[in-house]
Amino acid sequence: MFVKGLSMSGTSSQRNNLRLYVLGAILFLWCTAICLRLVYLQVFRYGDFQQRAQHQQQRTTEVAAKRGLIYDRAGRELAMSIMVDSVFAVPSEIPDLAQTVSLVSHVTKSDAREVLAKCKAARTFCWVARKTDAETAARIRALNLRGIYFQKESKRFYPKRDLAAQVIGYVGTDDEGLSGIERGYDEKLRGKPGRMSISVDARRKYFGSVEKQPEAGENIVLTIDEKIQYIAERELDVAMQQTHARTGTVLVENPHTGEILALANRPTFNPNDTHAISPDVLKDHAVSDVFEPGSTFKLVTIAAALDEKLTRPNEMFDCQNGSIVINGLRIHDHKSFGVLSVGDILAHSSDVGAIKIALRLGEDRFYKYIRAFGFGQQTGIELPAETRGLTKPVNRWSKVSIGAISMGQEIGVTPLQLAGLVSTMANDGVWVAPRIVAATSGPRSKLQTVEFRPVTERRVIAPFTAAQMKQMMEGVVLHGTGRNANLDGYSAAGKTGTAQKFDPVTGKYSHTKFVASFAGFAPVNNPAVVVAVILDSPVAQHVYLQEGGWTAAPVFKRVAQQVLEYLHTPHDVELPASRQLLMARRQVKDQDLEEASPDRLGDSVEVADANPKPGQLVAGSGVVQAALRQPLSSEPPTQPNTEPAPASGPGSSDQAATSGTVVLEVEQGGIVVPSFVGKSVRSAIESAQDSGLDLDAVGSGVAREQSPVAGTHVAAGARVTVRFGR
Amino acid sequence: MSRYISFRDFDWVLLGFILVICCLGVMEIHSATVHTKFAGAHLRQVYWILGGLACMFAMSLVSYQILLERIHWFYIVALASLITVLLFGQKYLGARRWVKLPGGAHFQPSEWVKLILILAVAKYFADLHDKELSWSDIIKAGAIAGVPMLMVLRQPDLGTALTYLPIAVMGLFLGGLRFKQAAVIVLSGALLLPLGWHVLKPYQRDRLTSFMHPEADSQGSGYQVNQSLIAIGSGGIWGNSEGSQTHLAFLPVPQTDFIFAAFAEEHGFVGALGVMLLYFIVLMRLTQNAQTAPDRAGTFVVMGVVAVLSFHILVNIGMVVGFMPVTGIPLPLMSYGGSSVLFMFLALGIVMNVRMRRFVN
Repeated sequence: MFVKGLSMSGTSSQRNNLRLYVLGAILFLWCTAICLRLVYLQVFRYGDFQQRAQHQQQRTTEVAAKRGLIYDRAGRELAMSIMVDSVFAVPSEIPDLAQTVSLVSHVTKSDAREVLAKCKAARTFCWVARKTDAETAARIRALNLRGIYFQKESKRFYPKRDLAAQVIGYVGTDDEGLSGIERGYDEKLRGKPGRMSISVDARRKYFGSVEKQPEAGENIVLTIDEKIQYIAERELDVAMQQTHARTGTVLVENPHTGEILALANRPTFNPNDTHAISPDVLKDHAVSDVFEPGSTFKLVTIAAALDEKLTRPNEMFDCQNGSIVINGLRIHDHKSFGVLSVGDILAHSSDVGAIKIALRLGEDRFYKYIRAFGFGQQTGIELPAETRGLTKPVNRWSKVSIGAISMGQEIGVTPLQLAGLVSTMANDGVWVAPRIVAATSGPRSKLQTVEFRPVTERRVIAPFTAAQMKQMMEGVVLHGTGRNANLDGYSAAGKTGTAQKFDPVTGKYSHTKFVASFAGFAPVNNPAVVVAVILDSPVAQHVYLQEGGWTAAPVFKRVAQQVLEYLHTPHDVELPASRQLLMARRQVKDQDLEEASPDRLGDSVEVADANPKPGQLVAGSGVVQAALRQPLSSEPPTQPNTEPAPASGPGSSDQAATSGTVVLEVEQGGIVVPSFVGKSVRSAIESAQDSGLDLDAVGSGVAREQSPVAGTHVAAGARVTVRFGR
Repeated sequence: MSRYISFRDFDWVLLGFILVICCLGVMEIHSATVHTKFAGAHLRQVYWILGGLACMFAMSLVSYQILLERIHWFYIVALASLITVLLFGQKYLGARRWVKLPGGAHFQPSEWVKLILILAVAKYFADLHDKELSWSDIIKAGAIAGVPMLMVLRQPDLGTALTYLPIAVMGLFLGGLRFKQAAVIVLSGALLLPLGWHVLKPYQRDRLTSFMHPEADSQGSGYQVNQSLIAIGSGGIWGNSEGSQTHLAFLPVPQTDFIFAAFAEEHGFVGALGVMLLYFIVLMRLTQNAQTAPDRAGTFVVMGVVAVLSFHILVNIGMVVGFMPVTGIPLPLMSYGGSSVLFMFLALGIVMNVRMRRFVN
């Protein structure tokens, strides 16, 4: 074999062998270099390259978690999230981008040029339409376009539209809370977003997706009661229409727990229509507005003086015919008062009287009480943008400040702080921090009724002082500036306020623009609710009709009346209208009506009796008379009497006596009323028709009580009121 | 003569290693194409390999010395086929590389021209015997390789044209090129290089620029190498069985030019090292066969095959790992493609041919 090879010259063979070795060595070096490169790539930079691979292979998009629900206190949804379709384009997959975009834009009614510009800027992903309704999505789907995809997204939906809009707030396109509870509790409501990793190949084809489930946000239960909120909003709407006020606020609070039952603001907005929301309607006036309270602040002045035992409710002050000079500055009252008791100073809202009491109190003590009632600091309510109000410390008071503050000027408060002041009176002198969030709950856990415990409370005035205040505040409603706040069937107490608006242009208080307010509670002895009404710049024919007693007090009356009835608060005063009979039956249900006597009827208004208020008792009795006669006539009863009760007078006992005879008259009727209790609405109506009676059904479910009671003799065609309940 | 030859002298060990590499190639082609429009390519590759084996055995039976005696005719036919391509070739992706044969088959003449060139260069240097190389010898040798090279460049197919270069270089190197001569050639080549820049097509220039600055345009011309590096890197030591770079089609042509990257992703550093080792063994075994060749021509023939094979391997893997610019050079024995497989097995047939005749005189 080597013959030929050996025939080559020795040097050549050796050279060739050497050159082969050189070639082998070069080959080996090159292989080594590649191996080292592989080590570098695959061992040292493994993590880096793996990340880069994942980065380009997987589009990880955040999947927003289902936002938590917002419930009212009874578990009714105020804000919920529904899953809707969003449409996105993958421009690199679309053959004719302009045509596709124009088709889609036609369906979504959006600006095609804008969308096209957006799609051209993004090669891989571009939203075309966010959170469309089902119909739009179906129409786009039907187009069956290449490169157009759908993604489920959660959209916030407010089933009650503008109900409590400022409290609940609203969310932006990406479900971020932008105001109200939605903003304040955004983190909890939001939950933890999931991750959707879509594998993408080099041609941007989506295929296969691994999903990390998002964690739904927590649900939030508000102390708001939808029904009470509705009442407040409806009545505020009426007031806004009547008074043309610039803004208005109604607050309903449980004075014992601090729970806000309703918080209504006007103007308002529909949170479902985010495009139409302007910034000025977002403001929650109840916590963000600072206004000079005016006369309502006299509650602080007088409560402080009483609590410090510097005066008594019946101590007489000379109101100097409506003029006083403090530290050289003359202040005029809105009316020339003579000598008034402390109770009347409050009832008729005498500025001079309030100033005199404040002067007796002294600056430091006065300031201590102002702070104790919660002014000048946040209440800590769970709403964003709460302001502290404006309260100057004593060392910055001018010489006349004490006079101004005593009647509610030179001090800025929020409606919520005002409600807190009245709540303190109603709650026997203990200030309770207001709450609007009752509970938060995990997304899966069942919603449970959480017992509410107030977090913060502090005693501001002694219980005895609070009782005195209550009584005097009732006087405001009964014979003072707040007569328009008088309720039917309930005692009420409160204080009007009419603060002249400070005009920053002239630097003076306006004589035509006011902030009218009324803050009160009812019933007086065991207050169920505090209602505060604030109307900014109401308009009326006369200046005095713009005052709190004429603009805000009627709102209080309508709201408190309906709320108390909704809460089934027992009446403590005689009722007008046929419903009064329900009360009567309740009180004497086990007794024979034939034995009813004026005394017995008197017993029926125990509450009023226990705490003698002559005027009120008479008022109630007077109404009873009117009401009882109505069923006897064949005409249906008129609407509950909204007129203020007849004036008190010496004839009151007579009227009370006649009410007894009225009852006797009832017994002389022709038809015996059957018992409806336990029947369904349908069978009750049938039964009433059989008996020749007109049935007035209230509520739904099973009949619980009726008026007149079974066995009563009534005229044919008389109306029987039956309350149904579940 | 033929009675002396026997398949006992056939290099079964070499064939074994070759077939192992082919099997790995078929597996990787399957893995890379299973969900694409190229699905089933691995089966076609198996048919090509079987066909290649048949060609190899047939080739080993015809004495290479007979082939060398008639090499000038083969060489003329080779040039003619290249001219045919230039005139009547199928234009595909801007290049005429293929001729359509009757019966629907496509044929890429530049591949088998390589084989003719190996033989022609071997014949040329074998006939020179052992005398010192003169400049005219060098220029003649250069012309033998240069003419077909220019023709292939006209197609244009830079990658294949470049594979002709190592054949000539190997011939010169073993034919006794002196250091001074080598230096002159290299220097003049370096001086001509800027001129060559203007000859290059724009896409070829892009490839070179992106090789110099791979990160500059990672979505454009640098895309392929970038994706290849990501694929290899994400393979890690033991490999990434999902092979997502490959399977998600980020890796360009994973069944042909970038099959090594696909393999390195799926089987990791260990797998890649194994393949490198296999190729190294094959090359060493071939070199050993060259040393034991019965004559000078045989040595040149086998070393020509070694030159082409190692050039292919090193340039392809060098490209895949980012050492070299992207050229359309497949990885021999692994990459999918009939012409490439057939050339490899025909070349191996000649090597076997030389080996089987090592005891024959």
